[in-house]
Amino acid sequence: MSETAARRATVALALVGAAVAAYLTITWAADVAPVCTTGGCSEVQSSEYAEIVGIPVAALGLGAYLAILATALRGGPGPAAIGAALAFAGLAFSLYLLVIQAFVIEAFCLWCLVSDALMLLLAAVAAFRLRAASPA
Amino acid sequence: MARRSPTRARGGKVAPTPKPPPVGQKKGGTGLLSWTWAAVGLAVVLAAGLILVSVLTGDDEPTTSEITPAGTVAGAGEVEQLLSGIPQDGVALGDPEAPVTLLEFADMQCPFCREWAWDAFPTLVEEYVRDGQLRIEFRPMAFIGEDSGRGARAALAAGEEDRLWHVVELLFRAQGAENSGWVSDELLEAIGSSVDRLDGGMLVSAAEGDETLDERIAESTAEADENGINSTPSFMLGRTGGELQKIEVSSLGPEGLREQIDALLRR
Repeated sequence: MSETAARRATVALALVGAAVAAYLTITWAADVAPVCTTGGCSEVQSSEYAEIVGIPVAALGLGAYLAILATALRGGPGPAAIGAALAFAGLAFSLYLLVIQAFVIEAFCLWCLVSDALMLLLAAVAAFRLRAASPA
Repeated sequence: MARRSPTRARGGKVAPTPKPPPVGQKKGGTGLLSWTWAAVGLAVVLAAGLILVSVLTGDDEPTTSEITPAGTVAGAGEVEQLLSGIPQDGVALGDPEAPVTLLEFADMQCPFCREWAWDAFPTLVEEYVRDGQLRIEFRPMAFIGEDSGRGARAALAAGEEDRLWHVVELLFRAQGAENSGWVSDELLEAIGSSVDRLDGGMLVSAAEGDETLDERIAESTAEADENGINSTPSFMLGRTGGELQKIEVSSLGPEGLREQIDALLRR
Protein backbone atom coordinates (compact mmCIF):
# COMPACT_ATOMS: atom_id res chain seq x y z
CA MET A 1 0.00 0.00 0.00
CA SER A 2 1.44 3.40 -1.00
CA GLU A 3 1.47 6.29 1.43
CA THR A 4 -1.10 8.15 -0.67
CA ALA A 5 -3.45 5.19 -0.71
CA ALA A 6 -3.02 4.76 3.05
CA ARG A 7 -3.78 8.43 3.64
CA ARG A 8 -6.92 8.21 1.52
CA ALA A 9 -8.07 5.11 3.39
CA THR A 10 -7.36 6.88 6.68
CA VAL A 11 -9.49 9.87 5.65
CA ALA A 12 -12.39 7.63 4.63
CA LEU A 13 -12.28 5.47 7.79
CA ALA A 14 -11.81 8.47 10.08
CA LEU A 15 -14.80 10.23 8.53
CA VAL A 16 -17.04 7.23 9.14
CA GLY A 17 -15.66 6.88 12.67
CA ALA A 18 -16.24 10.57 13.37
CA ALA A 19 -19.85 10.24 12.17
CA VAL A 20 -20.45 7.27 14.51
CA ALA A 21 -18.81 9.05 17.45
CA ALA A 22 -20.73 12.26 16.72
CA TYR A 23 -24.02 10.34 16.73
CA LEU A 24 -23.20 8.74 20.08
CA THR A 25 -22.10 12.10 21.50
CA ILE A 26 -25.36 13.72 20.42
CA THR A 27 -27.51 10.94 21.90
CA TRP A 28 -25.48 11.09 25.12
CA ALA A 29 -25.93 14.85 25.39
CA ALA A 30 -29.65 14.64 24.58
CA ASP A 31 -30.04 11.70 26.99
CA VAL A 32 -31.93 9.62 24.43
CA ALA A 33 -31.42 6.04 23.37
CA PRO A 34 -29.34 5.41 20.26
CA VAL A 35 -30.92 3.27 17.58
CA CYS A 36 -29.73 -0.14 18.65
CA THR A 37 -30.14 -3.71 17.44
CA THR A 38 -27.92 -5.31 20.07
CA GLY A 39 -30.17 -4.08 22.89
CA GLY A 40 -27.40 -2.82 25.15
CA CYS A 41 -26.64 0.64 23.78
CA SER A 42 -28.57 2.49 26.49
CA GLU A 43 -27.00 0.42 29.21
CA VAL A 44 -23.50 1.06 27.90
CA GLN A 45 -24.18 4.74 27.23
CA SER A 46 -25.50 5.34 30.73
CA SER A 47 -22.81 3.35 32.53
CA GLU A 48 -20.06 4.96 34.59
CA TYR A 49 -17.63 3.97 31.85
CA ALA A 50 -19.38 6.13 29.25
CA GLU A 51 -17.52 9.17 30.50
CA ILE A 52 -14.10 10.06 31.82
CA VAL A 53 -13.88 12.95 34.27
CA GLY A 54 -17.16 14.26 32.92
CA ILE A 55 -16.21 14.00 29.26
CA PRO A 56 -18.27 11.47 27.30
CA VAL A 57 -16.13 8.71 25.84
CA ALA A 58 -17.99 9.21 22.55
CA ALA A 59 -16.71 12.81 22.45
CA LEU A 60 -13.16 11.58 23.11
CA GLY A 61 -13.63 9.18 20.22
CA LEU A 62 -14.87 11.99 18.01
CA GLY A 63 -11.77 14.01 18.89
CA ALA A 64 -9.52 11.03 18.17
CA TYR A 65 -11.09 10.38 14.75
CA LEU A 66 -10.81 14.05 13.80
CA ALA A 67 -7.18 14.16 14.95
CA ILE A 68 -6.36 11.03 12.92
CA LEU A 69 -8.14 12.62 9.97
CA ALA A 70 -6.01 15.75 10.38
CA THR A 71 -2.78 13.74 10.33
CA ALA A 72 -3.81 12.22 7.00
CA LEU A 73 -3.96 15.64 5.38
CA ARG A 74 -0.15 15.85 5.36
CA GLY A 75 2.41 13.38 4.09
CA GLY A 76 5.68 12.33 5.68
CA PRO A 77 6.78 10.20 8.59
CA GLY A 78 5.89 12.73 11.32
CA PRO A 79 2.15 12.94 10.61
CA ALA A 80 2.12 9.21 9.88
CA ALA A 81 3.70 8.47 13.27
CA ILE A 82 1.25 10.72 15.10
CA GLY A 83 -1.66 9.16 13.21
CA ALA A 84 -0.37 5.70 14.06
CA ALA A 85 0.07 6.61 17.73
CA LEU A 86 -3.52 7.88 17.91
CA ALA A 87 -4.88 4.84 16.08
CA PHE A 88 -2.89 2.36 18.22
CA ALA A 89 -3.97 4.16 21.41
CA GLY A 90 -7.57 4.23 20.13
CA LEU A 91 -7.42 0.52 19.41
CA ALA A 92 -6.01 -0.26 22.86
CA PHE A 93 -8.69 1.84 24.56
CA SER A 94 -11.38 0.25 22.35
CA LEU A 95 -10.22 -3.20 23.46
CA TYR A 96 -10.38 -2.08 27.09
CA LEU A 97 -13.95 -0.83 26.57
CA LEU A 98 -14.86 -4.09 24.84
CA VAL A 99 -13.71 -6.01 27.93
CA ILE A 100 -15.74 -3.63 30.12
CA GLN A 101 -18.83 -4.23 27.97
CA ALA A 102 -18.38 -7.99 28.07
CA PHE A 103 -17.52 -8.55 31.72
CA VAL A 104 -18.58 -5.49 33.72
CA ILE A 105 -21.64 -4.02 32.01
CA GLU A 106 -22.54 -7.33 30.37
CA ALA A 107 -24.12 -5.59 27.41
CA PHE A 108 -22.84 -4.60 24.01
CA CYS A 109 -23.42 -1.36 22.17
CA LEU A 110 -23.72 -1.85 18.42
CA TRP A 111 -22.24 1.56 17.65
CA CYS A 112 -19.29 0.90 19.94
CA LEU A 113 -18.63 -2.37 18.11
CA VAL A 114 -18.72 -0.53 14.78
CA SER A 115 -16.28 2.02 16.18
CA ASP A 116 -14.02 -0.80 17.45
CA ALA A 117 -13.92 -2.31 13.97
CA LEU A 118 -13.13 1.09 12.42
CA MET A 119 -10.34 1.70 14.91
CA LEU A 120 -8.89 -1.74 14.15
CA LEU A 121 -8.88 -0.94 10.43
CA LEU A 122 -7.40 2.51 11.09
CA ALA A 123 -4.60 0.98 13.15
CA ALA A 124 -3.82 -1.50 10.38
CA VAL A 125 -3.84 1.22 7.74
CA ALA A 126 -1.72 3.44 10.02
CA ALA A 127 0.91 0.71 10.26
CA PHE A 128 1.08 0.45 6.44
CA ARG A 129 1.14 4.23 6.16
CA LEU A 130 3.99 4.56 8.66
CA ARG A 131 5.98 1.92 6.80
CA ALA A 132 5.40 3.65 3.47
CA ALA A 133 6.17 7.13 4.79
CA SER A 134 9.24 6.33 6.88
CA PRO A 135 12.79 6.15 5.58
CA ALA A 136 13.47 2.47 4.90
CA MET B 1 12.43 12.98 16.50
CA ALA B 2 15.87 13.56 14.95
CA ARG B 3 16.83 11.51 11.95
CA ARG B 4 20.12 9.71 11.72
CA SER B 5 22.42 10.92 9.01
CA PRO B 6 24.82 8.38 7.47
CA THR B 7 27.96 10.48 7.81
CA ARG B 8 30.21 7.62 8.91
CA ALA B 9 30.83 4.57 6.72
CA ARG B 10 31.64 1.09 8.01
CA GLY B 11 35.17 0.72 9.37
CA GLY B 12 35.15 4.19 10.89
CA LYS B 13 36.09 6.04 7.76
CA VAL B 14 34.40 9.33 7.27
CA ALA B 15 32.23 9.28 4.19
CA PRO B 16 31.18 12.32 2.25
CA THR B 17 28.10 13.86 3.80
CA PRO B 18 25.22 13.26 1.40
CA LYS B 19 22.75 15.94 0.53
CA PRO B 20 19.74 15.62 2.88
CA PRO B 21 16.79 14.13 1.06
CA PRO B 22 13.48 15.98 0.92
CA VAL B 23 10.98 15.25 3.67
CA GLY B 24 9.19 11.97 3.05
CA GLN B 25 11.80 10.60 0.67
CA LYS B 26 13.43 7.34 1.60
CA LYS B 27 16.98 7.83 2.70
CA GLY B 28 18.08 4.54 4.31
CA GLY B 29 19.10 3.73 7.90
CA THR B 30 16.80 2.98 10.81
CA GLY B 31 14.10 5.59 10.10
CA LEU B 32 11.18 3.18 10.05
CA LEU B 33 12.21 1.66 13.36
CA SER B 34 12.60 5.07 15.01
CA TRP B 35 9.23 6.33 13.84
CA THR B 36 7.55 3.06 14.79
CA TRP B 37 8.98 3.19 18.30
CA ALA B 38 7.92 6.81 18.60
CA ALA B 39 4.37 5.94 17.53
CA VAL B 40 4.14 2.91 19.79
CA GLY B 41 5.59 4.82 22.73
CA LEU B 42 3.13 7.67 22.33
CA ALA B 43 0.26 5.20 21.89
CA VAL B 44 1.18 3.34 25.08
CA VAL B 45 1.31 6.59 27.06
CA LEU B 46 -2.04 7.78 25.65
CA ALA B 47 -3.84 4.47 26.10
CA ALA B 48 -2.42 3.80 29.55
CA GLY B 49 -3.43 7.27 30.71
CA LEU B 50 -6.98 6.91 29.41
CA ILE B 51 -7.46 3.42 30.81
CA LEU B 52 -6.02 4.41 34.19
CA VAL B 53 -8.35 7.40 34.51
CA SER B 54 -11.32 5.31 33.34
CA VAL B 55 -10.58 2.55 35.87
CA LEU B 56 -10.15 5.05 38.70
CA THR B 57 -13.32 6.99 37.90
CA GLY B 58 -15.50 4.08 36.74
CA ASP B 59 -15.69 2.31 40.09
CA ASP B 60 -18.76 1.46 42.16
CA GLU B 61 -20.30 4.77 43.04
CA PRO B 62 -23.69 4.37 41.44
CA THR B 63 -25.53 6.77 43.68
CA THR B 64 -23.42 9.72 42.74
CA SER B 65 -22.34 8.77 39.23
CA GLU B 66 -25.97 8.44 38.12
CA ILE B 67 -26.72 11.96 39.23
CA THR B 68 -25.96 14.70 36.76
CA PRO B 69 -24.37 17.99 37.78
CA ALA B 70 -27.81 19.57 37.29
CA GLY B 71 -29.20 17.34 40.07
CA THR B 72 -31.29 15.19 37.75
CA VAL B 73 -30.79 11.49 37.14
CA ALA B 74 -29.17 9.86 34.11
CA GLY B 75 -31.64 8.30 31.70
CA ALA B 76 -34.60 10.46 32.72
CA GLY B 77 -35.09 11.78 29.19
CA GLU B 78 -35.00 8.30 27.76
CA VAL B 79 -37.52 6.99 30.28
CA GLU B 80 -39.82 9.95 29.67
CA GLN B 81 -39.58 9.29 25.93
CA LEU B 82 -40.46 5.62 26.49
CA LEU B 83 -43.43 6.22 28.79
CA SER B 84 -44.74 9.49 27.40
CA GLY B 85 -48.41 9.36 26.45
CA ILE B 86 -49.04 5.97 28.07
CA PRO B 87 -51.60 6.05 30.90
CA GLN B 88 -50.45 5.06 34.37
CA ASP B 89 -52.72 4.35 37.30
CA GLY B 90 -50.99 3.40 40.52
CA VAL B 91 -49.01 0.24 39.77
CA ALA B 92 -50.55 -0.18 36.31
CA LEU B 93 -49.15 0.92 32.98
CA GLY B 94 -51.23 1.01 29.83
CA ASP B 95 -54.80 1.15 28.67
CA PRO B 96 -57.11 -0.30 31.36
CA GLU B 97 -59.12 -1.85 28.51
CA ALA B 98 -56.09 -3.62 27.03
CA PRO B 99 -57.03 -7.26 26.30
CA VAL B 100 -53.97 -8.77 28.01
CA THR B 101 -52.52 -8.12 31.47
CA LEU B 102 -48.98 -8.92 32.65
CA LEU B 103 -47.93 -8.84 36.31
CA GLU B 104 -44.24 -8.32 37.01
CA PHE B 105 -42.89 -9.36 40.40
CA ALA B 106 -39.55 -7.63 40.92
CA ASP B 107 -37.03 -6.58 43.54
CA MET B 108 -35.30 -3.30 42.79
CA GLN B 109 -31.96 -4.89 43.68
CA CYS B 110 -32.38 -7.97 41.50
CA PRO B 111 -29.89 -7.84 38.60
CA PHE B 112 -32.07 -10.05 36.39
CA CYS B 113 -34.99 -7.68 36.94
CA ARG B 114 -32.69 -4.91 35.76
CA GLU B 115 -31.78 -6.98 32.72
CA TRP B 116 -35.45 -7.52 31.91
CA ALA B 117 -36.09 -3.80 32.40
CA TRP B 118 -33.31 -3.06 29.91
CA ASP B 119 -33.82 -5.77 27.33
CA ALA B 120 -37.53 -6.60 27.31
CA PHE B 121 -39.57 -3.81 28.87
CA PRO B 122 -38.89 -1.03 26.33
CA THR B 123 -39.68 -3.33 23.41
CA LEU B 124 -42.86 -4.66 25.01
CA VAL B 125 -43.97 -1.10 25.72
CA GLU B 126 -43.41 -0.06 22.11
CA GLU B 127 -44.88 -3.22 20.57
CA TYR B 128 -47.86 -3.90 22.83
CA VAL B 129 -48.49 -1.33 25.56
CA ARG B 130 -48.38 1.83 23.50
CA ASP B 131 -51.10 0.67 21.13
CA GLY B 132 -53.34 -0.64 23.88
CA GLN B 133 -52.84 -4.39 23.54
CA LEU B 134 -51.11 -4.99 26.85
CA ARG B 135 -51.18 -3.50 30.33
CA ILE B 136 -48.48 -4.22 32.89
CA GLU B 137 -48.86 -4.14 36.67
CA PHE B 138 -45.92 -3.93 39.04
CA ARG B 139 -45.69 -6.12 42.13
CA PRO B 140 -42.86 -4.90 44.36
CA MET B 141 -40.86 -7.46 46.30
CA ALA B 142 -38.25 -6.63 48.92
CA PHE B 143 -36.34 -9.71 49.95
CA ILE B 144 -32.73 -8.85 49.06
CA GLY B 145 -32.17 -6.20 51.68
CA GLU B 146 -32.51 -2.63 52.88
CA ASP B 147 -32.25 -1.01 49.46
CA SER B 148 -34.98 -3.31 48.13
CA GLY B 149 -37.46 -1.89 50.63
CA ARG B 150 -36.37 1.69 50.06
CA GLY B 151 -36.70 1.30 46.30
CA ALA B 152 -40.06 -0.49 46.51
CA ARG B 153 -41.52 2.15 48.85
CA ALA B 154 -40.26 5.00 46.66
CA ALA B 155 -41.81 3.34 43.60
CA LEU B 156 -45.15 2.78 45.33
CA ALA B 157 -45.15 6.38 46.57
CA ALA B 158 -44.58 7.54 43.00
CA GLY B 159 -47.56 5.39 42.05
CA GLU B 160 -49.72 7.73 44.10
CA GLU B 161 -48.86 10.30 41.46
CA ASP B 162 -49.16 7.74 38.62
CA ARG B 163 -45.42 7.82 38.05
CA LEU B 164 -44.45 4.42 39.47
CA TRP B 165 -43.06 3.14 36.19
CA HIS B 166 -40.82 6.18 35.80
CA VAL B 167 -39.27 5.49 39.20
CA VAL B 168 -38.99 1.74 38.63
CA GLU B 169 -37.17 2.25 35.33
CA LEU B 170 -34.88 4.95 36.71
CA LEU B 171 -34.00 2.89 39.77
CA PHE B 172 -33.15 -0.12 37.62
CA ARG B 173 -30.90 2.10 35.52
CA ALA B 174 -29.14 3.31 38.66
CA GLN B 175 -28.97 -0.10 40.32
CA GLY B 176 -25.84 -0.49 42.43
CA ALA B 177 -24.17 -3.23 44.44
CA GLU B 178 -26.53 -5.12 46.77
CA ASN B 179 -27.27 -3.30 50.01
CA SER B 180 -24.56 -0.72 49.39
CA GLY B 181 -26.94 2.13 50.16
CA TRP B 182 -27.35 2.91 46.48
CA VAL B 183 -31.04 3.88 46.91
CA SER B 184 -29.72 6.99 48.57
CA ASP B 185 -31.58 10.16 49.45
CA GLU B 186 -29.51 11.94 46.78
CA LEU B 187 -30.62 9.49 44.09
CA LEU B 188 -34.27 9.79 45.09
CA GLU B 189 -34.01 13.58 45.18
CA ALA B 190 -32.54 13.50 41.67
CA ILE B 191 -35.33 11.23 40.44
CA GLY B 192 -37.86 13.56 42.01
CA SER B 193 -36.28 16.46 40.17
CA SER B 194 -36.28 14.56 36.88
CA VAL B 195 -39.88 13.37 36.68
CA ASP B 196 -42.88 15.67 36.50
CA ARG B 197 -45.45 15.43 39.30
CA LEU B 198 -42.84 13.94 41.64
CA ASP B 199 -41.19 15.55 44.61
CA GLY B 200 -37.82 14.32 45.83
CA GLY B 201 -38.68 14.94 49.45
CA MET B 202 -41.79 12.80 49.16
CA LEU B 203 -39.78 9.91 47.67
CA VAL B 204 -37.14 10.19 50.40
CA SER B 205 -39.78 10.26 53.11
CA ALA B 206 -41.54 7.21 51.67
CA ALA B 207 -38.27 5.29 51.28
CA GLU B 208 -37.32 5.89 54.90
CA GLY B 209 -40.41 4.09 56.12
CA ASP B 210 -44.13 4.01 55.62
CA GLU B 211 -46.40 1.46 57.22
CA THR B 212 -49.02 1.62 54.48
CA LEU B 213 -46.46 1.09 51.76
CA ASP B 214 -44.88 -1.79 53.69
CA GLU B 215 -48.32 -3.41 53.87
CA ARG B 216 -48.64 -3.16 50.12
CA ILE B 217 -45.23 -4.81 49.67
CA ALA B 218 -46.38 -7.54 52.03
CA GLU B 219 -49.52 -8.00 49.92
CA SER B 220 -47.40 -8.42 46.80
CA THR B 221 -45.22 -10.94 48.60
CA ALA B 222 -48.31 -12.85 49.74
CA GLU B 223 -49.67 -12.85 46.18
CA ALA B 224 -46.35 -14.20 44.97
CA ASP B 225 -46.39 -16.94 47.62
CA GLU B 226 -49.95 -17.93 46.70
CA ASN B 227 -48.88 -18.40 43.12
CA GLY B 228 -45.68 -20.29 43.83
CA ILE B 229 -43.44 -17.39 42.93
CA ASN B 230 -40.15 -17.46 44.80
CA SER B 231 -37.74 -15.63 42.53
CA THR B 232 -37.59 -12.42 40.55
CA PRO B 233 -38.35 -11.39 37.98
CA SER B 234 -41.46 -13.55 37.78
CA PHE B 235 -44.52 -12.98 35.70
CA MET B 236 -48.21 -13.78 35.55
CA LEU B 237 -50.07 -13.34 32.32
CA GLY B 238 -53.62 -13.65 31.09
CA ARG B 239 -56.63 -12.02 29.49
CA THR B 240 -57.58 -8.85 31.36
CA GLY B 241 -60.37 -9.59 33.83
CA GLY B 242 -59.73 -13.32 33.63
CA GLU B 243 -57.47 -15.58 35.64
CA LEU B 244 -53.78 -14.84 35.30
CA GLN B 245 -51.31 -17.70 35.18
CA LYS B 246 -47.72 -17.83 36.36
CA ILE B 247 -45.55 -18.17 33.30
CA GLU B 248 -41.97 -19.15 32.63
CA VAL B 249 -40.02 -16.89 30.29
CA SER B 250 -37.59 -18.42 27.85
CA SER B 251 -35.28 -15.42 28.08
CA LEU B 252 -35.06 -11.98 29.66
CA GLY B 253 -35.40 -10.36 26.25
CA PRO B 254 -38.73 -9.42 24.61
CA GLU B 255 -38.80 -12.74 22.77
CA GLY B 256 -39.23 -14.43 26.14
CA LEU B 257 -42.82 -13.20 26.34
CA ARG B 258 -43.79 -12.33 22.78
CA GLU B 259 -45.13 -15.75 21.83
CA GLN B 260 -47.31 -16.03 24.93
CA ILE B 261 -48.69 -12.51 24.57
CA ASP B 262 -49.42 -13.07 20.88
CA ALA B 263 -51.22 -16.32 21.70
CA LEU B 264 -53.48 -14.53 24.19
CA LEU B 265 -54.15 -11.71 21.74
CA ARG B 266 -55.33 -14.24 19.12
CA ARG B 267 -58.00 -15.62 21.47
